[in-house]
Amino acid sequence: MIPIPDNTVVTGAGGWLGTGLVSAFTDDGPHRRSGCIRALVRDQDDADRLSILSDNIEPVLGDLTLRSDLERLFEGLSGTTDVIHAAGVIHPTTFDELDAVNHLGTVALLDVAAEAGIRRMVHVSSNSPFGTNASRADTFRNDEPYHPYFGYGQSKMLAELRVIEAADRGLNVVMVRPPWFYGPHQPARQTQFFTMVRTGRFPVLGDGGQRRSMVYIGNLVQGVVRAELTPTDPGLGWWIADERPYRVNEIVETVGAVMREEGFDVKPNRVRLPNIVGSLAERVDGLLQSSGRYNQQFHVLGEMNKTIAVDISAAKRDLGYEPDVALAEGMRRSVQWCLEQGIEL
Amino acid sequence: MTGGVINETPANRHHDCDVLIIGSGAGGATTAAILAEAGHQVLIVEEGEWVDQGTVVPFSLEQMDRQYRSGGVTVALGLPSIAYTEGRCAGGGTEVNSGLYRRPPEETLERWRREYSIAEFGSDPLFEILDEVENALSVQTVPGEHTESSEILRRGAAALGWDHDEIPRWMTYPESGAAIDGRRQSMTRTYLPRAFAAGANMLTEHRLDRIICKGSRALRAELTSTSNEDRPVTISFRDVIVCGGAIQTPAILQRAGFHHRIGRTLAVHPTVKLAARFDSEVNTPDDVPVYQVKEFAPDLSFGGSASQPGLVALALTDNWRDFGSAVTSWPDIAVYYAAITSQGRGLVQAIPGVRDPLVTYRLTSRDRHLLGQGLARLALLMLEAGAVEVFPSFRGAPAVRSRADLAEMTANFAATKASVMTVHLCSTVPMGENEDRCAADSFGKIHGADNVYANDASLLPDAPGVNPQASVMAVSIRNARHFADVRS
Repeated sequence: MIPIPDNTVVTGAGGWLGTGLVSAFTDDGPHRRSGCIRALVRDQDDADRLSILSDNIEPVLGDLTLRSDLERLFEGLSGTTDVIHAAGVIHPTTFDELDAVNHLGTVALLDVAAEAGIRRMVHVSSNSPFGTNASRADTFRNDEPYHPYFGYGQSKMLAELRVIEAADRGLNVVMVRPPWFYGPHQPARQTQFFTMVRTGRFPVLGDGGQRRSMVYIGNLVQGVVRAELTPTDPGLGWWIADERPYRVNEIVETVGAVMREEGFDVKPNRVRLPNIVGSLAERVDGLLQSSGRYNQQFHVLGEMNKTIAVDISAAKRDLGYEPDVALAEGMRRSVQWCLEQGIEL
Repeated sequence: MTGGVINETPANRHHDCDVLIIGSGAGGATTAAILAEAGHQVLIVEEGEWVDQGTVVPFSLEQMDRQYRSGGVTVALGLPSIAYTEGRCAGGGTEVNSGLYRRPPEETLERWRREYSIAEFGSDPLFEILDEVENALSVQTVPGEHTESSEILRRGAAALGWDHDEIPRWMTYPESGAAIDGRRQSMTRTYLPRAFAAGANMLTEHRLDRIICKGSRALRAELTSTSNEDRPVTISFRDVIVCGGAIQTPAILQRAGFHHRIGRTLAVHPTVKLAARFDSEVNTPDDVPVYQVKEFAPDLSFGGSASQPGLVALALTDNWRDFGSAVTSWPDIAVYYAAITSQGRGLVQAIPGVRDPLVTYRLTSRDRHLLGQGLARLALLMLEAGAVEVFPSFRGAPAVRSRADLAEMTANFAATKASVMTVHLCSTVPMGENEDRCAADSFGKIHGADNVYANDASLLPDAPGVNPQASVMAVSIRNARHFADVRS
């Protein structure tokens, strides 16, 4: 591992992963770091929320798509600087927003980071550039052909291609690819997930035997930090996920069991939908997106009957990544975090 | 007593034998050798001609014309339709296939035993038979230099960290040991001479018209000479063993009046192809690569196809407007395939008055997706191996020169637009005691028949996920030995 840099720039710091990273850099855990943490945030609320974590944090209000904002993000830094690019739009209001932020925002950041002479950059990508597995038994290997899943996948794929080009030009940049993540600091849409499980209304499509890789946010933070601090060739990317994929049934059952143990009255899950519902939702999602619109419900439901399973052995081998939290424990921490925040599930 | 190929038909145009074997491929030739050695008077009939190994160029148009059924152009109808090939010559498919040898995986044998209730089907005795087969056919890896088209598969898989290995072949090699100098140890060089030495006779270039039955008993066979259509020949026998391959065997049995579970469960390994262009010569016209990529087995395997210039052109025809000009650089191009284990099944139906049966095959949705994922992964492997351009075989396919192009390729792929083909046909007369699923008993005797057997790829309960010739030979030899024990 190389030493912790003098400065760490985090984009999307107000988001789920960004908050997780900044918290891990400033709490008493294994990822605590000294030095300045420049955090790009969208609004003053996020800036205030992060500022109280530590004096090391310097929030910068700005927009990833504005070059002048990005230049301010790097202004006045001295010594070594690493960049963790965790900003992105997953559930936009329009398709254009995906490209503007996920793709063009990444292009702008790569340019500004190169000019600033950074030491290393970690780009947070996704499973979406690679689509879904063709069969339930299949698992994505570390290196797969692109097959982007709709607009989000397309924007994240284009970002990856620009990252690889920047690496070819000499920028020390690598990528991590997390699938569906879960854990503390979760946004409202993930809270709905707990509520659906508690009320027995989580839509299981088909027999629920589809496999899904997930990543606990703490595991993902470990993967990001290892990708940053482990010397490797630029341009590489790794799946960062929990040890193994889970079956959809297993996910619903595990979350139900955890919530019961935490004192919730969990109803047996009774929403079983035929696979065709997922296929229809996927089609509606596709039609909407092709006309430049986006609907989160259709998008998520359309993906629910698919297997998205990834193999993390390359991250273990190249980065020494070892996920130490699995589904039950991760979900428990997530539920407890919600309770601590006073969020009603 | 020594037998051999009979050229003269007796004046009364009639033959007598103990056992009539229809077909001389991996099933028929082994059955003939074992039964002749056990003292049965064996007559083999074969529709195709006898062609000595080395007299036609492997994978050439002449070979397709002389040694394949219908010049190599046969199709299972469906969406998409699937092109397939059948050997039609002395030695059957063993004369013309790629010669790649793989034992059936233990899991496959276990599945067959369990799901089809095949009696006395232990793996160990089968593997002992395969020890013999490997010895008889000189199964071995390439002792010397590999072809460049083979090396490409190895290099690409190694770069991606994907599991791959060299598949041994039934080949002998001269001093140099180079892959291209190998000599195929097909049935015309192994089990057929053995059968002749033990007294078996063989009638080539005679097409079986029908087997005449009375109730559950087969009485005689009627055949026609393919060179002299107005000369019918009859053959009387005690037992008849049909070894015509997974398409002809069920059709023959249906015409003889047997229908229970026959021709209902055709299994194949559907494959899609691509042609890959490199910046130096990689094409070996008369040989195929010996490496296979097994990282995603059994669902998905990658390997090399025959790459004669004509076959390179064929691989480019799906988007000839954009790809056609590449054919002039055919020496720099090799053709590769992605094969899947299919969840779909097909039908073989004999049609009265029509010589060839109707074959249909239905891919499932999972099969179609897997073909697309397989083709994309194969294209990625080609880029990693240094391909300059990849030409996928589906209508409207883009040329792939970079990883970004792979996204365009996957976005445009649909199995219904692809040239899907297969060579591994099996399972149209599945064997086992489970009568709900099986057409023959655990040793190939047709359910409901007194003296009619099948003994070829038709008996394999499903597609083994690997090149099937070893599986076919193991089952055929096992069944022939059992037959010799009970019908002496």
